[in-house]
Amino acid sequence: MDDIDAMFSDMLQEMDLLTQSLGEEAESAPLPKPPTIPGPQEMNFSVGFTDFNASLHDLEDNDLDALMADLVADISATEEKFATEKDTLKGSAPVAPIPSQPPSNLSFPGSSSTLRQATSSNSIAATPPPPTSKPSKEELEEQIKADKIKLALEKLKEAKVKKLVVKVEIMDGSSKTLMVDERQTVRDVIDNLFEKTHCDCNVDWSVCETNPDLQTERGFEDHENLVEPLSTWTRDTENKVIIKKKKDKYEVFRNPQNFYMWKKDKKSLKDMKEKDKEQLLEENFCGASVIVPDLEGILYLKEDGKKSWKQRYFLLRASGLYYSPKGKTKASRDLVCLVQFDNVNVYYCKEYRIKYKAPTDHCFILKHSQIQKESQYIRYLCCDDEWTMTLWVTGIRIAKYGKQLYDNYKAAVRKAAGSATWASRSIQASSSASTPSPTPKVRAANGHAPQPAVETKGSSNQTSFPPPPASMETLPPPPPDPMLPPPPPAPPSTNKVNQFPPPPQFPQSSFPPPPMDDLPPPPPPPPEDSELPPDFLPPPPPIFSSCGGEALPPPPPDPIASLPPPPALQNFASAGGAPPPPPPPPPPPAPAPAASKPAGSVRKVAPPPPKRTTPQLAAPSGGDLMSELMTAMQKKRTQ
Amino acid sequence: MAAWDLTVTVEDLGPDAPPLQISVTSDLHIGGVILKLVEQTNLKRDWSDHALWWEQKQQWLLRTGWTLDKCGVHADARLIFTPQHKPLRLGLPNGATLKMRACFSSPVFRTVMGICRVLNLRHPEELSLLRPVEEKKKKKDKDSSEELYDLTDVPLTAGSVQALYNGMPAHFADSPKTEAVYKMLSVSLPSPAPEAIAKLYRPASIVDKTHIHTRWLDSSRSLMQQGIQENDKLGLRFKYYTFHDMDPKYDAVRLTQLYEQARWAILLEDIDCTEEEMMLFGALQYHIGKQSLSQDMVSSCQGMDDLESALKSLEVKMVGDGNSTDMLDNMTAPELNDHLKIFRPKRLTLKGYKQYWCKFQETSISYYKSKEDRYGEPIQQLNLKGCEVAPDVNVAGQKFCIKLLIPAPEGMNEIYLRCENEKQYSQWMAACKLASKGLTLLDSSYQSEVQNIQTFLSMQRSSSAAPTSQTDESINTHSLVSPRYQKKYKPKQLTPRILEAYQNIAQLSLTSAILKFLQIWQALPDFGISYFMVRFKGSRKDEVLGIANNRLIRIDLGVGDVVKTWRYSNMRQWNVNWDIRQVAIEFDGNINIAFGCVNADCKVVHEYIGGYIFMSTRAQQQSDTLNEELFHKLTGGHEAL
Repeated sequence: MDDIDAMFSDMLQEMDLLTQSLGEEAESAPLPKPPTIPGPQEMNFSVGFTDFNASLHDLEDNDLDALMADLVADISATEEKFATEKDTLKGSAPVAPIPSQPPSNLSFPGSSSTLRQATSSNSIAATPPPPTSKPSKEELEEQIKADKIKLALEKLKEAKVKKLVVKVEIMDGSSKTLMVDERQTVRDVIDNLFEKTHCDCNVDWSVCETNPDLQTERGFEDHENLVEPLSTWTRDTENKVIIKKKKDKYEVFRNPQNFYMWKKDKKSLKDMKEKDKEQLLEENFCGASVIVPDLEGILYLKEDGKKSWKQRYFLLRASGLYYSPKGKTKASRDLVCLVQFDNVNVYYCKEYRIKYKAPTDHCFILKHSQIQKESQYIRYLCCDDEWTMTLWVTGIRIAKYGKQLYDNYKAAVRKAAGSATWASRSIQASSSASTPSPTPKVRAANGHAPQPAVETKGSSNQTSFPPPPASMETLPPPPPDPMLPPPPPAPPSTNKVNQFPPPPQFPQSSFPPPPMDDLPPPPPPPPEDSELPPDFLPPPPPIFSSCGGEALPPPPPDPIASLPPPPALQNFASAGGAPPPPPPPPPPPAPAPAASKPAGSVRKVAPPPPKRTTPQLAAPSGGDLMSELMTAMQKKRTQ
Repeated sequence: MAAWDLTVTVEDLGPDAPPLQISVTSDLHIGGVILKLVEQTNLKRDWSDHALWWEQKQQWLLRTGWTLDKCGVHADARLIFTPQHKPLRLGLPNGATLKMRACFSSPVFRTVMGICRVLNLRHPEELSLLRPVEEKKKKKDKDSSEELYDLTDVPLTAGSVQALYNGMPAHFADSPKTEAVYKMLSVSLPSPAPEAIAKLYRPASIVDKTHIHTRWLDSSRSLMQQGIQENDKLGLRFKYYTFHDMDPKYDAVRLTQLYEQARWAILLEDIDCTEEEMMLFGALQYHIGKQSLSQDMVSSCQGMDDLESALKSLEVKMVGDGNSTDMLDNMTAPELNDHLKIFRPKRLTLKGYKQYWCKFQETSISYYKSKEDRYGEPIQQLNLKGCEVAPDVNVAGQKFCIKLLIPAPEGMNEIYLRCENEKQYSQWMAACKLASKGLTLLDSSYQSEVQNIQTFLSMQRSSSAAPTSQTDESINTHSLVSPRYQKKYKPKQLTPRILEAYQNIAQLSLTSAILKFLQIWQALPDFGISYFMVRFKGSRKDEVLGIANNRLIRIDLGVGDVVKTWRYSNMRQWNVNWDIRQVAIEFDGNINIAFGCVNADCKVVHEYIGGYIFMSTRAQQQSDTLNEELFHKLTGGHEAL
């Protein structure tokens, strides 16, 4: 019992020290507990920092702003959580340490070890509710401990949530950068982009990946997660993510007859009645199993390792792509399976006539998504004309995804219809949806939110304003507990935030003030809400402080910052005033400009290569902590 | 009115008893005849099921209110007084034969409804009766050896709502004997011996397939009218391939029998599939067979699912709020550590397997030069997520290899892991399989996966030894595929291929596996097409007409190619000229076709088309009651109207 208590209070202290030291670092404000700075952890910090820095190198300023919005949301969410937890805990069992400490420790390695992967520690988990009944003190403590461990586990999981910074090119040549979390589907990302670009929400919009090496393009399906395929890109990839209208994306649902009755001549199909189309869809997509169009015909297949293309008679079946070998009948038993669709995706190809001496330029390939370069494991196919290619590629997509495609289409249609009428309200609706159950703390923060928003506007004109820099090196590393290796997660993320210039460059129009007024600072998006509200919300610096409480390092230095809500008020007040004239952040501004300059100058078109991520790295240290906890628990039991 | 003598044979008096003569007048109604008849027999018993059958005219006299005059019965009529319900031997889709009472006097459509009610099969309109294939009577003794389930004692209840007792309809729970029948109905039977499959009739060509459908009984006439006698054998099959409102919760028997029908259709090559598909069907059969064996009869499909969901939620609880130590245990990720031989085929190298110390953690394999080096940097770390895993196993040769194809930007890395023994193999194989799907050793399915692989390996060992049908764990993989593949592959070649397919479905529950089987079956291009040999008007050669649930297909007899397709949605009307037995159909755009049937009665074809149109009307009317009248309107011949 004592052991574990002692351990937790140790952790509490460490946590306090860390957050305070952070705050001090950023604000140069007096802190209740002077931080003692151990060496090793500092190392950790700078590793994380430089890595992140490097990866963001080639982003443009406005990209950074957008990113910062995301990060701020994460941080503020985390801060809120800390504050809430602390409160609840203090209220119920003052002896107990801060529950969120273990997780914060655990989640750090994940974020520091990966390049562009930001680890969010904003757990969705509900904070441990203060016990309502009045059980014995022991029970109470038991309960609290259990809750804490649960929280730790949740955070551990959360810490593994991978995030990528993705730059999406739009057809007009511009681009948007956004942070995508691995739980988000392509549909979420498209919706997100709709909100950012205010385009029509046509169902044809499609997020695609292009591979210049292979000269391919594939539209992601709406239900896919975006992070996963992007994680398989190589480091030096020239691949891009683009968004464009692809007519063939859902053509099969608009004119199913062209696919399911492709043998008939097109003229007779042209004016098919809507009712009949619906029936076709019903027959083929709503039964016990999806019926794949009965495509068959001659395609050219590039022979393994050779330059020649051979004609073969291909047939599409739900179970795969087959061809009938020479001299055999078309009977099922004689067919040879070229490929099954479980592990491969289908890609459109460009200009294969030149690249591979294909008979025509209407080629598609089938490959594992991981394969990025020419390989014998890629199946190259060539069609006589574009329509045939569309037919086969669509057929293969139906065979691979089945009913999911139809569901995607219906969702897209709903979205398009909804956006037409509710365009003006969509922002509000979606962002407020992400704050379903604000804790009292959050609400308190809400009260202050409007003002920060105004402040932001004021400062937004000052685009040239140098970023309030909290440089890594100067950051006081957390308190020294050799047993608990990594510092809490809050520091890494705040570091990153401090890295960036404050939001000013954001165009005013992108975040209308009215929504801001009644919107709280973006809380952590609940898992089911896959939108990323932070993307279009201005990240007003004061928000950190107003909702964060003590753990907040950002610009405005206020000694009282370490106290929960009331100080927050002061905090932001000073923050609001501070920005325009002299940069309040005391730390040397040098590192920050360094970071932002390259961002401006290196204008790479290609999105920075997402790095292969290794979230598992969080595990070892997690293991350490957990095993410690376990031994503690065991000791306790034996007593 | 003049009285005359009517000759009636009363079956219950025995075969040798002379026919009774009763004195009647022409205005006596049928009910009166029966009354007189019963009085004359002096037998005290329940006569309520009996009715008069007019043999010469092959018709029942069921309207007791009608007079003899109105029925057209005169003194020369030979009537038989006989029960309307008689025992019938039913060949079920699963191949078992069930003896039960069926109604011989009502239209077959209604008889099937009655049979299905007893068997607890919903949506009887999808099924019908057909005459069995004429067996070549070489060995007469074969009949006696046939296993027979008997349900003749079970009363036919009128109510359609079935009370459940012990997880089965109450009328099955009466005795162990009937319970066994229900088990036979609701649990799929073990795989048959390969020889048994090979012995059964298989259609060799599309022409043969047209013969199957000539055997369907006419739904609008009674069994007696179609010459079916007491104790005759008929097949009960799903006739219309649109399975409405399938719900595993209520459809244990329906699902099982449908699966059995599909399985036999595949084993007997009624429906063509590719080799890959056959392997998957084989794997699913194996899995379903294994799951069914291990299943207690009472906890049928629905029980299983409940249990499964209960286990799932338990699992969540354990992770969510078990006591903290449990959680901690869960957090320490398990690993596999062992010596394995690794081989990476490269061009122009003759290097063989080399032994390394391997560690399986999360979804990756790291290998080291030796056990002592395991704390250092691994020689290589392979992340198996998204890779292809294939077994390369020969139990007899003690070869246990795992072939890995790991996708990388440059292509696929091919790596072989060689294990020492079965145990090691099954552990590593299971781990690889899970990792390829992004799951770790922590996943709850790991243990069952290991076990599955072990039992499958034991299959290879015993396959040569046990040629009989599946008894326990041992099974001959030849019994999972059609004779074509039995000939093409030896069991030891076949087993690895089925094993490969099996790995993707091993986690499915029994019900999901059955559903999956049906799904793949229904996705086959030729699914649900019933073939008939026809001659189109104006054509000089026989052609094949395929009837599916949404279209008619004209098929060239010689080549087997689809010539033309017409969809019902474009159909204006169809009618039958019963005199020349020709079906005429008009489609949108003034397309008219007409054909006569070569080897089937055109009533069968007419009924098929009408039946499918009837089936398509079901979606709209949600009520449970079957619109019998509409069915007969759509399928009946001139007699019905």
